[in-house]
Amino acid sequence: MKAKQLKIEIREVPGTDMIKVMHFSGELVSECVMQINQVFSDLTDQKQLFVIAEMSAVTLISSAALGEFMGCRKRLLEQGGDLVFSGIKIDIRTKLNLMGATKIFRIYTDVRSAIAAYNWEIGHKPEKINLKFPPFLKIVPPIRQLVSRIAKQKGYGNRDSFRIETIVDEICNNAIEHGRNQVGELIDLSITIDPDKIEIDVTNISDPVKLETLTTLLVPDNGSDKKNKADLKRGRGLTLIKMLSDELSVDSTEQGTSVHVKKVREE
Amino acid sequence: MESQIELIMEDIRGKHNARLIRFIGDLDATNIDLVLEKIFNLLNDGIVNIVADFKQLRYVNSTGLGILLHFSKTAKEKGGCFNIVNINENVYEIIEIIGAATLLQIFDDLDEAIASIK
Repeated sequence: MKAKQLKIEIREVPGTDMIKVMHFSGELVSECVMQINQVFSDLTDQKQLFVIAEMSAVTLISSAALGEFMGCRKRLLEQGGDLVFSGIKIDIRTKLNLMGATKIFRIYTDVRSAIAAYNWEIGHKPEKINLKFPPFLKIVPPIRQLVSRIAKQKGYGNRDSFRIETIVDEICNNAIEHGRNQVGELIDLSITIDPDKIEIDVTNISDPVKLETLTTLLVPDNGSDKKNKADLKRGRGLTLIKMLSDELSVDSTEQGTSVHVKKVREE
Repeated sequence: MESQIELIMEDIRGKHNARLIRFIGDLDATNIDLVLEKIFNLLNDGIVNIVADFKQLRYVNSTGLGILLHFSKTAKEKGGCFNIVNINENVYEIIEIIGAATLLQIFDDLDEAIASIK
């Protein structure tokens, strides 16, 4: 039976000239190796080094074609680029998994996800997550763990992720402790993360009764003795946030309190 | 959605007024009441020497740290101790930042922590 003819089409990515999408269709049999090689050579000659191989219309990838992709990726990596796959069918992906190729290539479900990953890596474009939650302490653990997992998924190390988890925990707990806790009122949490830093913003509605306590806590520590530290029931959270972050600002009025923290990636 | 914390208590051979407590999980504002109750029950029952094994304690926040300091202070006032052992690096960093590393009795080795009980 004759193999379905391979077609390769190069497409631009709107908004960036650094990323190119190669749309493959048909069967990538061993006879296609030279054709694949030629397309990659043309791109590297034009210094197009970030390539997405879109495979949703591909029905077969031979081991020879896979070997060629490995060689092409190696050449791209040597020049500071990369090759990733998108849209690979489940049955092909299973075979690639068995061949160990999924440990070498990053595979995204679709082109959009692959573009987002490249934009994150090469464009340093931050990603933003907004959450609103009611002022209940029991909601904080899953929120802090979610943010920590996002940081890990984005390549932040264990220590950084743990510190981020602590910062989110302490800010959210403070917002609940010092803010107004009426039914229907929500706390806003905004996370902006890029490969170099994470910025965390928490805004809540102020409780005028608790505002004085919060203002007292914001006064710089004047060096209390050990006994006072052991007895101190409040204020440790802000100390932790200050020590774990690179920037901390608190804007508190009778209407609302906003806390902004910047944490630079260390690992 | 509270954080999970489990305290496993074991007798310490030859020390009738002591317990080894293994902390498993996260210690934070959502579960300190449970931990406070369990440990204060012990302290009030005359078990004033506590060895807290933190090997499986993944996370502590400032609220959790506050009660650890409280346990240490209360145990000392009752003539005992609250010795911490097997602490992970991340949790230790939090304790250190707060300035509590010198206020808490922290040991590297379980035998050492038990041996220090008077």
